Amino acid sequence: MSMPKFIKPIVLFLLCLPLLVIAQDFSNEDYIYLKRHEYIKIKLAKNNFNIAKNISEQAEYLTAKKLYFANESIGYDSFTSIENIDAYTHLPSANKNIKVDYIETKREFDNGIFYSDQESKNFTFPAVTKGAITNLNYTEVLKDPRFLGLFRFGTFVPTKNAKLTIEFPKNVTIGYIDFNTKDIPLKFEKEETKSSNIYTWSVDNITGFQGEELSEAVLYYLPHIIVYIKSYELKGKTYNVLNDVKDLYKWYASLVKQIDEKSLENVYAISDKVTKGLTSNRDKAEAIFNWVQDNITYVAFEDGLGGFIPRSASSVCDKRYGDCKDMANLLYEMYKHVGIEAYRTWIGTRDRPYSYLEVPTPMVDNHMITTAIVENDTIFLDATDSYVPFGMPSAFTQTKEALLGIDENSFKLIKVPVQDINKNVTTIKSDFSIENGTLKVSEQRDLTGYEKVDFISDYTYKKDDKTEEEYLNTTLSLGNNKTKYSNISKKNFDNKATALVLNYDLSIDNYAKTVADKTYINLNIDRVLAKSKIDIKDRKYSKKIDHKFKKTYTTTFNIPEGYTVSHIPKDLKYENPEYGYTITYTQNNDQIIQKKTIYINTLSVQNKDFETWNGFIKSLVKAYKKSIIIEKNQ
Amino acid sequence: MIKKLALMLLLVSTSSFAQYYKTYDWKSNPKLHTLSSSDLKEASVGILKKNVVEYNKSLFTQGLKRYETQHTIVRVNSDKGISRHNTVYIPMRDVTQVVDIKARTIHPDGNITELNKDNIKEVKNVEEYGDFKIFAIEGAEEGSEIEVLYTVEKEYDMHGNETIQSDYPIKEARFIFITGDLPSKTKAYRTNSKFESVELNGKASQQIVLKDIPAMIEEQYATPDANKIAVAYQCFPSGQNITHEMFWENVVNNIGSQFFPQETSAKVNEDIKGFVKGQENLTVFKVASLVDNFIKSNFNIVKNNNAELSNLDYILTNRSASEFGIIKAYAHYLKALNIEFEFVITANRFEYKFDPEFFSPSMLRDFIIYLPTEDKYISPNRIEYRVGEAPSNLLGNHGLYINKNFEYYFSKIVQADSLFSRIKRTTDITFDDDIESVILKQHQEYYGHWAVTNRAVMNLSPESAKKEFEDYLTGSGIEDKVVETIETKNTDMNPLEYNLPFIVNATMSSESLLEEAGDSYIFQIGKVIGTQSELYQENERMNPIEMDFPNQYDYTITINIPDGYSVDGLDALKIDKSYTGPSGEKLCKFESNYTLNGNKLVITIQEFYRTNEYDLGRYEEFRTVINAASDFNKASILIKAEE
Repeated sequence: MSMPKFIKPIVLFLLCLPLLVIAQDFSNEDYIYLKRHEYIKIKLAKNNFNIAKNISEQAEYLTAKKLYFANESIGYDSFTSIENIDAYTHLPSANKNIKVDYIETKREFDNGIFYSDQESKNFTFPAVTKGAITNLNYTEVLKDPRFLGLFRFGTFVPTKNAKLTIEFPKNVTIGYIDFNTKDIPLKFEKEETKSSNIYTWSVDNITGFQGEELSEAVLYYLPHIIVYIKSYELKGKTYNVLNDVKDLYKWYASLVKQIDEKSLENVYAISDKVTKGLTSNRDKAEAIFNWVQDNITYVAFEDGLGGFIPRSASSVCDKRYGDCKDMANLLYEMYKHVGIEAYRTWIGTRDRPYSYLEVPTPMVDNHMITTAIVENDTIFLDATDSYVPFGMPSAFTQTKEALLGIDENSFKLIKVPVQDINKNVTTIKSDFSIENGTLKVSEQRDLTGYEKVDFISDYTYKKDDKTEEEYLNTTLSLGNNKTKYSNISKKNFDNKATALVLNYDLSIDNYAKTVADKTYINLNIDRVLAKSKIDIKDRKYSKKIDHKFKKTYTTTFNIPEGYTVSHIPKDLKYENPEYGYTITYTQNNDQIIQKKTIYINTLSVQNKDFETWNGFIKSLVKAYKKSIIIEKNQ
Repeated sequence: MIKKLALMLLLVSTSSFAQYYKTYDWKSNPKLHTLSSSDLKEASVGILKKNVVEYNKSLFTQGLKRYETQHTIVRVNSDKGISRHNTVYIPMRDVTQVVDIKARTIHPDGNITELNKDNIKEVKNVEEYGDFKIFAIEGAEEGSEIEVLYTVEKEYDMHGNETIQSDYPIKEARFIFITGDLPSKTKAYRTNSKFESVELNGKASQQIVLKDIPAMIEEQYATPDANKIAVAYQCFPSGQNITHEMFWENVVNNIGSQFFPQETSAKVNEDIKGFVKGQENLTVFKVASLVDNFIKSNFNIVKNNNAELSNLDYILTNRSASEFGIIKAYAHYLKALNIEFEFVITANRFEYKFDPEFFSPSMLRDFIIYLPTEDKYISPNRIEYRVGEAPSNLLGNHGLYINKNFEYYFSKIVQADSLFSRIKRTTDITFDDDIESVILKQHQEYYGHWAVTNRAVMNLSPESAKKEFEDYLTGSGIEDKVVETIETKNTDMNPLEYNLPFIVNATMSSESLLEEAGDSYIFQIGKVIGTQSELYQENERMNPIEMDFPNQYDYTITINIPDGYSVDGLDALKIDKSYTGPSGEKLCKFESNYTLNGNKLVITIQEFYRTNEYDLGRYEEFRTVINAASDFNKASILIKAEE
């Protein structure tokens, strides 16, 4: 499922970084930035800001391999405009400049956002080849003083010199905060002219940053800075812009005030209908949440301030579609109507590493949910996640700070709690037997919490044209990819808190190995996490885990008649507060019973813990490779 | 003045019949349709897909007009069905006027929500697709029907086509082609249904009706998008009955006169001096390779609306060209170097099946250059390919070949060398002292399309993709594999030698390959060849079999059995499956065998696919060969302590 977007996504290439970012030799690169400079000039006339960013970039082709970097695209939306694009290629060998003479305005269709006002200016630098240097200068005019954005010191390829300058009148106060810069030689200078202050941050020779699989989002490691306007003074009076989160909320509250709250009869009618006969607030809250999950489809429109102001609950109800803020507002209205305490809530997903207290700008969030207080419980409700059960937040909002709008002037910040490991459990019960050398398995899987949510979302959106058998084979990966599935059934395939129950029978050829009188069988047909070793040598960023979980297995092997057990593996375990497993084997009469528990009790593995993590995986893989042996009676 | 009036009257009289769309409408009291229980299990089911294309003489000008109406009704049974149909994109390319767009949802309770037309958004210049009108369906819920009806007027175009089949089932599709007394042609693809003549509103028309069209499904070794049921049509101005031959000749003359230069540009000669400097007695292959390498290291293909990108002077100065314009550049360099060549126009076989029998401009998608003296191709718009076989996505499609005398012929694009793409791999396996870990020393040679792709990934992909590539090069599927060393050779994108292999030497270790069972070990030897695709077929195969390209694998695996141990259970290593052609030759096979000499167990495997197309009727045999490799992947042997 695509991540719901509230604010424009930050367009970033995927990225990565060496821990040592000091003076680098870039001669092995194909393409580097010689400079990336941004100069923000803030002017204030009475109460009106006039803000422009001058962007100046120069890049060099060290080889002729990646000529596709010549394709440039400058994005903008209704809050910004792009002016004075000047772009040309310099060819040092011929000492010649060739200008870009054709720029086209384009749109794109985005999978996550159905309609957006985002456009881009597109062109291709001419005549690039080995040795060519491209130059780009343009101005981005900002129409709203709250959107100064962020500046990345690093980007997808190395940069010889990255520099951000901000020039602002002396009666304006700015705030700034930098991230992930402790390993780079960042310089900061302050200058003054008669009427302005000028702040400059710069860094030389910064390496490229490219994403890694299963790592934290790029903003967790990319060196960058956020600058914002705190306030200005006019005739002895101070006017706040985004001095702190109070101002941000004040702005959000002013936007919320513009929601059309008229004619909500249809919303009320539905609220009454779905809560009819229910007495407790908890039941009512759940019924309403489920109705919104089931009946409102995610379709996002981002059009100017319309990207920030929820559409009227009445219209969302009629149209049966909306984005996160529309669903959040609809829930809010429905709850209010049936007498449940509820708040519209702004939040950043786990992709954003910021706190409202540190970054009081719209950069901090990209999502909207509803918070309800039911019988003294604070419940975070995200109906954009169609399968999350009532009472659990969406997985991608765990740990994040939620900004609850209490009333026009007051708000509250609450952290969305990490969901306990015992909520996300897969319980697997399997019965093994051998028939003519083929392993037959009858298995039941019970999935709860996010384990269930993930299974249903993937099943719904990733199964494509595969049959159920093929889908299970390729996703559960039990035994090998020739495993045959039959008698598949699934129960509770819904968004309720009850466990999803999957049942199926397996027939696995070429799995048990028989040589002479001995048959070797490995009871670990599910090798979850076996491929999770981290390549410490090349790995740069911490590992992200979407949710805590536990898997418990009870595997019963039925010893065939006429056979005796000649070998059972020893019990094994690896225990650590954050992750581990235990495996035990017992034999009673004609059965061998393997019990296995695997747990992950953290949402991230930091670089310093990679060795420990790999120790866990290595131990688990070692445990997985132990077989039982049965022998034909003489 | 009088004359003019007479003409106008004449025009009026010939188009006095109302256009079809003017009298066509959706039902005023729609009801949900009755569907079978199997239809209700689908995420969504098309109840009606009706397309009407009407050509009409304009009232006041000599020109012809084209009206297109589309009317669809779809039942949505689930979230997935709703998401599939609740956003609508109407392309505005060539549209001169939107006559009407309307949409509604018919709810299970019989209520109707009609689209508020104010919510239709316009989106300009989307990527390479032009403008769109888009809207979201209002009120869609599970069990409802979504109905969309729109009519647009388009610029006159003699040609058109419509894809009828979709990725969801359709109960009834109807394509109506109204041309009156204008000459016209139609053709239906991949269906037994036929066009029939009907008269609609007094105008001669053609109609084709299809019932119960199954959903086109994704299958491995298939081109499902290109295999959908479709129709193509043509409509000409009065009195002009143009044959397909005339169209082909027209294209050939157009392309020929634009692309075969009379004289070569002086700018080209300067470049040539640079890249052939100091090299003498060059073969045709080498010269063509030098040209290909030079252009791909100095020119960019640009996809936008800049008309200059097909102007040769502009192209040579700015080193930027459209996909079309880059052909001109090639032609100049090749001609200046006296290389004989032909142009080939064809299409990506995964999108279109090129039909020499029915001219349609939409098939004229891809341009490549053929070197008749070498029987090799240049692929100007494919950054990864160099002089050799045609790109694999064109293989098996027909192409229009045009020579310098503006003569043309059609030919299927085939590989001259069925052994072009090969992988040779030798693996030497040893065990560490306590028989805990397996050490694999591997030498590999990748040829043909594989070498092309490997070089491209190596040189063009971002750093972040390199890890995955390394895994691929060292045999994916070994869970805990550690790549100890890896070295690659012949990685340069600009080789001057034909089919130079991409070489990989690597050492890997793994513990998971060696499972423990008491004092013996189960060695998962099959996993050494990497994860093999498995063809599942619970449903009847739909698409003809088309592989990416003909290929061959030759593997030798040597296992050095540790002292004090012996091996057993080797039967699983012997597999022999093949598919023979009509004259008894093996068209594809998987064969593995072994020899045991002292402490060395040597396994040899040969797997090949001589052609990329196989008979759908023999799918099961083909599947057996493909799955044989997957069978081998499960093979294990027992390593036991000697008694």
